Amino acid sequence: MKQNARLISLILIAGLWLAVCSAHAAHAAEPIRIGALFPYTGNLAKLGNESFNGADIAREWINRHGGILGRQIEWVKGDAVDAKAAVGEAERLITVGKVKVIFGTYSSSLSNAASEVAERHQVIYWEQGAIADNVTARGFQYIFRVCPRASSFGVMAVEFTAQELAPKLGFKARELKVAIVNEDTLYGSSVGAAAEQKAKELGLNVVALEPYSAKAVDLSSLIMKLQAKKPDVVIATSYMNDAILFWRQARELNFNCKALVGTGAGHGMMDFPEAFGKYADGVFNVDFPVIKDPKVLNPKLRPSLTEFREAFRAKHGRDAAVHATAGFVGAMVLFQDVIPKAGSLIPDDIRKAALSLNIPVGGTWQGWGVKFAPPGHPAAGQNLQSFPMVMQWQGGQLYIVSPQKFKEKEMTLLPLPSWDKR
Amino acid sequence: MASVLAQLILNGILLGGLYSLISIGLTLIFGVIRVVNFAHGEFLMLAMYITFWLNSLQGVDPYFSLLLVVPLLFLAGLMAHRLVIQPILGAPSYMQIFATVGLSLVMQNMALFFWKADFRSVESFCSTTSIRLLALICGAPKVIAFSASVLITFALHLFLKETYLGKAIRAVVQDREAAQLMGIDIYRIYLVTFGLGTACVGVAGALMMPIYTVFPTVGVYFVLTAFVVVVLGGLGSLPGAFLGGLIIGVVESLAGFFISPQLKEAIYFVIFLAVLVVRPSGLFGQIGAEELG
Repeated sequence: MKQNARLISLILIAGLWLAVCSAHAAHAAEPIRIGALFPYTGNLAKLGNESFNGADIAREWINRHGGILGRQIEWVKGDAVDAKAAVGEAERLITVGKVKVIFGTYSSSLSNAASEVAERHQVIYWEQGAIADNVTARGFQYIFRVCPRASSFGVMAVEFTAQELAPKLGFKARELKVAIVNEDTLYGSSVGAAAEQKAKELGLNVVALEPYSAKAVDLSSLIMKLQAKKPDVVIATSYMNDAILFWRQARELNFNCKALVGTGAGHGMMDFPEAFGKYADGVFNVDFPVIKDPKVLNPKLRPSLTEFREAFRAKHGRDAAVHATAGFVGAMVLFQDVIPKAGSLIPDDIRKAALSLNIPVGGTWQGWGVKFAPPGHPAAGQNLQSFPMVMQWQGGQLYIVSPQKFKEKEMTLLPLPSWDKR
Repeated sequence: MASVLAQLILNGILLGGLYSLISIGLTLIFGVIRVVNFAHGEFLMLAMYITFWLNSLQGVDPYFSLLLVVPLLFLAGLMAHRLVIQPILGAPSYMQIFATVGLSLVMQNMALFFWKADFRSVESFCSTTSIRLLALICGAPKVIAFSASVLITFALHLFLKETYLGKAIRAVVQDREAAQLMGIDIYRIYLVTFGLGTACVGVAGALMMPIYTVFPTVGVYFVLTAFVVVVLGGLGSLPGAFLGGLIIGVVESLAGFFISPQLKEAIYFVIFLAVLVVRPSGLFGQIGAEELG
């Protein structure tokens, strides 16, 4: 008798528990799970985390304003320490995490590797910061890149040198001696190759083409090679450590050039002026822009540029730089324009919605428009309305000096004073 | 042309001095304890961070922070040996590799966790000072690091040659079993040697701070070269580590200019392989000391 009573009460309790659980599940709307694949640790941790932090501000803002399709957004993080880990983590996010969209990844080599996995599983890969051209040159159907390509960085660096630096320095473009140095992974090689091609097109005198390893602890032989060639303008594509090492050893070995044009990554981070103080001023950087004046943007942008910058500053204690802003823009386009238009998380719906977007220039927080190249285009999935801008370090801050429409300040320190005169 | 060559060789020697500074500690550890210490670069990173924080929080010049960094690193080495290395001394060598790789990962990620991934630099009173000799030019911090490298090699060499502890260490390098038979407590020798090795890398870290920036994975950039220098120079040989470092530095500098900056590491690896084929114990190593175990 006691046995039966115990059995019955157990069944009753189990049934009650199940009922409560299902009732609870019915009330809580399931969150939207988006994969967040970035290098959170390892050599690229700094900018991987920066990019993610910007995107997270977007997620918080959207969640505070009702989420998407009535559901809150939740990240499923994957740590892409290197290309191998990127592939493994992408697999895990898709097969175990069951995400339909992977957002990432800052580094071109990581993005390249992981997006292959996503394409195989027909999962959307939403790239916000990696710039190597071949990320969107493989004819993939499910990859979309919001930011501009490396080739446009290289092209812009050379065009700026030929059309704006040369006249200001009193040279004709063909008389200017240009050196192109780049780190030798996918990122650096893409930008370097594009710069070289454009320079040949414009008839510039390229005196040196030097790739080097970003992992080098000493660049003195590179500097000495450049000293032998005496370039007027150096176009450099570097990650953080080598950007600092190059400039530091240039100072040490007294290598003087009239202008240094960086092309993103290392030359765009606050660590650069922090390492050099006033010696960082005058260096140019072709990169995703960091716009400070909302006047040049669409006034209907929500949140406003100021709101975003304040939210980032409040959470992280410093201003959003290039990569954080790129993360924010990439995430906002996905969360605010694409997924609501798709109406679901089915990758094919998201594809259609993304391909139908047509936001004019000035319609995102970095001044870009959004129009993805359709399938069949050689760069299918690339946002054709995104472009880098040329900025210059002045007083420890980056100011846009070109193109005219977005210019914040005039160029200074041209030519750069030699090291012993600073 | 001659001045370019002279400058390249000078650059190479100064760079080699840095490599030597880092490798001296490693050759002691590798040569005596025969454990491949993959965490060596992380002790360098730790020393650099301590130097950075002393400078950033208390305004201590990196060269003065040596007084604190060296003892701290010595203690850190003792702790690491006691907790991580000593328990696995008898284990097969691949287990030891796992342990030190694990230690390296833990240290890297703890640094990332506590201090973030930012690139930190310090400015010392002589960071921007350049020394000019005729047509040659070099930075003062590199010259100081090179001089320290010479001094430490010399001091350690005297220590190993003249003191009782030094002789005991050399005995253990020569033949572990025979040393034990002679009554030397090899576990105590291991402990002291590990501490000494990390103290040397502590000097390297403090002196390198005015030259490089520190971030959690900076150790990775140097540790492979340090191993090459150590094996090239001969395990446990201090003059070997010093000269090996110089050779690698000069080869790298010349190869980077005359061949290509991309291939400079490849060139010194080729030379390294060639030396190993001809003389496996390294340039100055004791024949037979290169066998593991």
